[in-house]
Amino acid sequence: MRKLMLILSVLMVASMLLTACGAPAATPAPVDEAPVNEAPATEAPAETEAPAAGEPIEIRWFIGLGAGGNPEEVEKEQAFVDEFNAKYGDKYILVMDVVQNATAYDVLKTQIASGDVPDIVGPVGVRGLWSFEGAWMDLAPYVESTGYDVSDFNPALIDFYKLGPQGQVGLPFAIYPSALWYNKDLFDEAGIAYPPHKYDEKYADGGDWDFAKLREIAMQLTFDENGNAPDSADFDPEKITQFGYDAMWTDIRGKWTFFEAGSFVGPDGSAVMPDVWREAAHWYYDGMWKDYFIPNDNYVNSDLLAQQNTFSSGNVAMTPIHTWYTCCAGEVNWDLAAIPSYDGHTTAKMHADTFAILKGNENADAAFEVLTIMLGDMAPQLLEVYGAFPARQSLQDSALEKMQGNFPNADLQVFIDGINYPDNPNHESGMPNFLKASDTYTAFAGLIQTTPDLDLDAEIDKLVTDLDAVFKEQE
Amino acid sequence: MQIATQVFGIIQFIYLIISFAASFHHFVEIPEEKKMALSSQARTLSQTKSKSRSYLARSQERWGYLFLSPWIIGFLVFTLIPILGTMYFSLTNYSPVTPDQTKFLGFDNYKTMLTDAKVTKSLLVTMNYAILSIPISFIVGLGLAVLVNSKNLAGKNFFRTMFYMPFMIPVVAGALVWSGVMNTQSGWLNLMLESIGIKGPDWLNDPQWIYVALVLIGLWGLGNLMLTLLAGMQGVPTELYEAATIDGANGWHKFMQITLPMISPVIFYNMTLMLIGAFKYFDLAYVLKNGTGQPADATLFYNLNLYKNAFTYNLMGYGSALAWVLFLIVLALTILLFKTANMWVYYGGEGKS
Repeated sequence: MRKLMLILSVLMVASMLLTACGAPAATPAPVDEAPVNEAPATEAPAETEAPAAGEPIEIRWFIGLGAGGNPEEVEKEQAFVDEFNAKYGDKYILVMDVVQNATAYDVLKTQIASGDVPDIVGPVGVRGLWSFEGAWMDLAPYVESTGYDVSDFNPALIDFYKLGPQGQVGLPFAIYPSALWYNKDLFDEAGIAYPPHKYDEKYADGGDWDFAKLREIAMQLTFDENGNAPDSADFDPEKITQFGYDAMWTDIRGKWTFFEAGSFVGPDGSAVMPDVWREAAHWYYDGMWKDYFIPNDNYVNSDLLAQQNTFSSGNVAMTPIHTWYTCCAGEVNWDLAAIPSYDGHTTAKMHADTFAILKGNENADAAFEVLTIMLGDMAPQLLEVYGAFPARQSLQDSALEKMQGNFPNADLQVFIDGINYPDNPNHESGMPNFLKASDTYTAFAGLIQTTPDLDLDAEIDKLVTDLDAVFKEQE
Repeated sequence: MQIATQVFGIIQFIYLIISFAASFHHFVEIPEEKKMALSSQARTLSQTKSKSRSYLARSQERWGYLFLSPWIIGFLVFTLIPILGTMYFSLTNYSPVTPDQTKFLGFDNYKTMLTDAKVTKSLLVTMNYAILSIPISFIVGLGLAVLVNSKNLAGKNFFRTMFYMPFMIPVVAGALVWSGVMNTQSGWLNLMLESIGIKGPDWLNDPQWIYVALVLIGLWGLGNLMLTLLAGMQGVPTELYEAATIDGANGWHKFMQITLPMISPVIFYNMTLMLIGAFKYFDLAYVLKNGTGQPADATLFYNLNLYKNAFTYNLMGYGSALAWVLFLIVLALTILLFKTANMWVYYGGEGKS
């Protein structure tokens, strides 16, 4: 009995130690701006020893900072990995590590902190890259030394992934241009002409297609429960049942950039508010609290507007959003229109995904070669996984044809045309003390979306002061 | 690692079963020779004036430590070492994203806290909430306990169950439900108020009403407080009430002069937990407002500010310093509470000191 107890005690202690030294648990993560379907978290694969000469090198691919977490995608990612390993298994073994988006940021931080660094991370957007500022490997030396051909990419897209002093941290993979999605049924019910599909085309009444015109028709598409429009004396703003416009699932930089691309960072590194953005802020604020064609925070979170997926509720007539929203538009009878211009400028903001390599990984050379395969030879298969539009110009025509097959009633050419009007600088581009700066302007957005009768200019000035203080913290 | 966890679980289960069995002597067969040897040792022990402990005592001590070792290891690995780790991190600019760029800063993080407006704001928010929520929660909890302890209440068990049940609901699930309930457009709370002609406030977006909302949601989970107070009340000797009745005391007198003093240790226990809970406040604020601290930093509790610095901004060093200061604040307040306990906590048989 004594011996048995001794053996069991030793085994239990050993098991405890083994368990304690295993994969770290995820900590609560911040909520992302755009909701993402979640997949069950998987355990990180165990660390491997350096392979002997001639043995394939294991490359760990971390998925979860952007798309890639929902079950359908995981299945396709596994099929991609299997195909990769079948083709290149004599040199590389690709292993995927899928984490739910809600916890992916914290899991990756923990892995980096513990030294268990994955090799390749993606797909990840510009915001995700900036959230891990300082952690990425500069790919420029590898691009140069290997002679990697970048001629198939729009040079502006290459610049998307230059993160200041960190250098070229990613290579273009997928782009998600935006367009103005509109609910055809709501337009038909109201007897209002659809917005134009071509950029530089006039509206049906012969007027310019700009944000002033959008406001006009958005107000005609906004009603309270008694069918009154905002310009009616009987209109009840507490009982609105349909809204004309909502720039959903983006932050204030994303909303304002549709007026004109800009940045909170001035040429000297201090915080600024571009004049156009100040005008945009007034346009949105008045749209929420004076003209009532844009839902405020309470409405956005209500059941009426499907708790933040407002366009899919069928109670919002127009929203400017990207190609990836095809996942989530629900049963709405939608089509696409050109983003309206403002003061002669047209901006259709762009999202773009890449795959990046973390510093501190054990197989930098091999990881880069695998990356080039994923973004090159096997790019079509990888794009298929995410329903993404290729950044490679040579693949765009066939991709459009395929996408049109999935959405035969939509004018997807509008997305392609929108590629010519990207926001530069990008609305997700870096700022000094990026995470804290993002938090600061998010707080401002929360204020204007929940509080009527503000002195908006004073609040904007305060935002600039607060941002400036945050920028200077990092100096 | 999954396999190790499962193996650990199985071994622990077997270990516990056998330990339990071994604690009963008649389940454990001790060989006769051993029994005689033990008896002989025991006699020798009682007869010998030895300065050193006997082999038996040392052996028993070793076995004791061996049985304690899982807890000790767990305490070291999951509690003490991480605590010491945060003490070190608080003196650096450690970030989990760039651990190779860690620099020793000395007490700079603590100095920064003195001038950080967010820290001051978060402390004020936390204290405001504590001042508002603790008395209200206590009074309502006590009221519920008195109610379900009443002789005149029919269906006592039913009410006890219903009042306790919300306590079992996970905080996150409850927060999501309440955010729907308190929505000004589709939430039934405002719809109900509207039906009686009252325009409901913007519970979750008004910097003043958000505190009321948080307190209301907190009241929903008072089941545990009610239960402990109820247990305390039911432990009060009935002779005291009988004697008071003979002396002509009414219900209020009995409550104030007998019930409250007799359950004061339970009240003290709950007050301590509520005070610590107020300073630990995080889950509800985080879930309701997505960790933003909105509206206008009104939900920027100290713990939420700590979380944002450590996990959102990746300033783990600064977050560790915030954690240590929180520990010191809570420790100071708890000591203060214990010091005042002499003035109002009555331990039966000792009299008030």
